[in-house]
Amino acid sequence: MIGKEEILKRIQSLHTLPASTARLSALVNDPKAGASDFEAVIRPDPALTANLLRMANSAYFGLSREVTSVRQAITLLGIKRVYEVASSVTFSRMLPATVPGYEIDATHFWLHCVGVAVLAERLAEELGRKAPDLIFTAGLLHDMGKLAIGSFLVDASEEVFGRVLDDSIDLAAAEKIVLGMDHADVGSDLAEHWNLPGPVSWAARWHHNPGEAPENVDRNLVDLVHVADGLAHSLGLGADRGELARTILPSAIERLGVNVRRLEFTASETIGQIYGMTELFSKCAGGVG
Amino acid sequence: MNSATKEATGPVCSGEHREEQASKSANQITVDISDIQVSADPGAVIVTYALGSCIAVMVHDPVRGAGGMIHYMLPLSATSPDKAKSKPAMFADTGIPLLFEKMYELGCQKKDMVVKVAGGGALYDDKGTFNIGKRNYTVLRKMFWKNEIIIAAEDVGGAKSRTVRLHVGSGRVVVRSQGKEADL
Repeated sequence: MIGKEEILKRIQSLHTLPASTARLSALVNDPKAGASDFEAVIRPDPALTANLLRMANSAYFGLSREVTSVRQAITLLGIKRVYEVASSVTFSRMLPATVPGYEIDATHFWLHCVGVAVLAERLAEELGRKAPDLIFTAGLLHDMGKLAIGSFLVDASEEVFGRVLDDSIDLAAAEKIVLGMDHADVGSDLAEHWNLPGPVSWAARWHHNPGEAPENVDRNLVDLVHVADGLAHSLGLGADRGELARTILPSAIERLGVNVRRLEFTASETIGQIYGMTELFSKCAGGVG
Repeated sequence: MNSATKEATGPVCSGEHREEQASKSANQITVDISDIQVSADPGAVIVTYALGSCIAVMVHDPVRGAGGMIHYMLPLSATSPDKAKSKPAMFADTGIPLLFEKMYELGCQKKDMVVKVAGGGALYDDKGTFNIGKRNYTVLRKMFWKNEIIIAAEDVGGAKSRTVRLHVGSGRVVVRSQGKEADL
């Protein structure tokens, strides 16, 4: 079993968060920050600006006219949305070619991430709820602990995946038994270490057990990410070595009031967008693929 | 599968895809999600990846020497009639008939066709709220019963992700799941 300290050391040695993402995260956490503050961070970074505009103009964000400047994007999409788009672009650039231990390549890992982001957001809409703040980013980054824990998993993978198969337990539970912590713990530590907004850390920490989230956490957000994660795996979006060994909690389904027909409709409406957006990310300079 | 030894084999791709590249046949045809592919090339291998709750139906006609595969995602087109129009292979009830039509277009006859089924997996979900895989399979069984189509072999259900290959020349179907490969 490895200690938390060793994992945290590993987290420190992971890619440094790009300066622009760190600064944008600080701004989105600051209620006093305005459009011009965001513009001042994004505009000097030509690759970020180009990719932000490319993503902002994709069908998913539903703008009626083409945006050609950062200011326009902020005006039309709003600060939080621009943060979501900008951070997703920078994170897609940080992915390694493969995620060790889980036996999944960057493209399929990112397909899963985008799938959860889109499904969680759309599911909120389908259920007639206002999408929780930053749910797209929270969904997108829910599994980032896998990037940090993966290298430990390489050595322990036979034991972890052996337990998944032999004991029919889910992947996160097997990680916890063998490594002493799971990718959810590690992901939230990473989010906190990087000072990412609260919803990102919450989704990372509680996406396998939303019912145990403390009161200060947006339960609706973690429930939506939990169900979206299950739906994405079910639809084959980014199958890693854990395959379908994931638990879906009836309590989360009950709290959301979602049924299988609603899930199927949400899947039918979004599957094209999910593949389209994953491809778009891959076209962003230096991105996946 | 040991990713460490295979990482160097080429561009970004998953373990399954990497293996495929290493032993790539002359004519590999990939079936995407909500997609149908048919072929009468005896050297062709039709493949689909990462079937979770989705189902793949493989049809082979040894007389005509043709094969086809659908990878459908959901049971019923009533879920979204619009999507059913633009992507009929997304649903069992609009996609499966289309697979058979495409086989007929190649000159196949229903009496000669051998039908196999794989997929329909499920997450751990005690109440079955989430069981799209089971619904996908139930609709397929109803359709086949009504149309007197016999399933020659199947590998369905369980918390498994499956990758399936159909060798058009021989009709051999190989399912890869949980790190193991088996003929269907």
